[in-house]
Amino acid sequence: MGEMEELRKEADNLKDQITEARKVVQDTTLQEAVAGTTLVGRVQLKTRKTLRGHLAKIYAMHWGTDTNCSKLCVSASQDGKLIVWDTLTTNKVSAIPLKSSWVMTCAYAPSGNMVACGGLDNMCSIYNLKGKDGNVKVMRELAAHTGYLSCCRFLSDSEIITSSGDCTCVLWDIETGTEKTIFAGHLGDCMSLAVSPDFKMFISGACDFTAKLWDIREASCRQTFSGHESDINAIGFFPNGNAVITGSDDATCKLYDLRADQELITYQDSGIMCGVTSLAPSLSGRLLLAGYDDFNVNIWDMLKAERVGVLAGHDNRVSCIGVSSDGMACCTGSWDSFLKIWN
Amino acid sequence: MEDLDLPQMKREVESLQYQLAINRVSSITVTELVKWIEGCVCDDPFLNPELMRANPWVEKGKCVIL
Repeated sequence: MGEMEELRKEADNLKDQITEARKVVQDTTLQEAVAGTTLVGRVQLKTRKTLRGHLAKIYAMHWGTDTNCSKLCVSASQDGKLIVWDTLTTNKVSAIPLKSSWVMTCAYAPSGNMVACGGLDNMCSIYNLKGKDGNVKVMRELAAHTGYLSCCRFLSDSEIITSSGDCTCVLWDIETGTEKTIFAGHLGDCMSLAVSPDFKMFISGACDFTAKLWDIREASCRQTFSGHESDINAIGFFPNGNAVITGSDDATCKLYDLRADQELITYQDSGIMCGVTSLAPSLSGRLLLAGYDDFNVNIWDMLKAERVGVLAGHDNRVSCIGVSSDGMACCTGSWDSFLKIWN
Repeated sequence: MEDLDLPQMKREVESLQYQLAINRVSSITVTELVKWIEGCVCDDPFLNPELMRANPWVEKGKCVIL
């Protein structure tokens, strides 16, 4: 009993010291730095394509990044299918039937050779898109999590990171199908993860209302960001890798500066009372596109923290969003079973 | 925090010690972030209409004169 109390006191003491250390380095706020910046003009994006084919709620989508697949994306729906789309023609490049239809996440490998998905089956299934006979088959089933798979992201064709309802994130060796590193520390379900542009770090958002920055090779948590008042559902890196964006059930998004270890600003509006489900920054990081439970996507000026646009067109919750690697288009996926391409 | 057992609590304390020790740069980083964004805006297709002139997702004219 005594030891536990002492540890608890020490933990609280350390948290206070971290708060103090953050205050010490805070000499400018974002608001001060952008006092002279003009608000971006109204941003109006139009639906250019609607991708039809899923028969149930879409839970996730991810753009391809390799030059050969920068106009391709993969989507996952609880109709039990992963579909790889050519967004220019709206054709389905692959329609992959899943063993478990309770899918919650999907990812496209940077090489374009594989896709992955997972969900209530607690596993991450890897599919080879470039099989010899043209058939798409399961390559590996990564099983070890004791909770649902909420998100997955490839580092390469041989490594993938997953986040889970069991409160951990895991780095896997795809070849051997084994866990290389377990990242434990969150006190609630991990809901989302994002990998840094240099592939050295990743961030996770969880139901303990915090976001954590992890060093992949050191296997340690470098920083923990608090401030949200509810589950963090969505997380992403700012394009230059020096900041983190989070979206939460508390109806706000926040921007955190990694190098100064501080919260910079909150994107909120008294008119928005529903949770943020997904987010993606534009190429320059000037705009933040965030999907909400109220069926809309709000576009924020990231510097001035004001709404400058809305993408309205879905008939149900927007569950996922992504901006293509060249910044030319945004894709939204919804519980209404459709994906839309906007620009 | 009430839900942690002793080993988890020890790891939490170790993690906090590690997190306290990281190097924090002054928020001059904020000014740098703003400069970075402003430098990239002209390359952002959502903010620079010039870059959207050749929009691959826009339907070309439906009829072709043969």
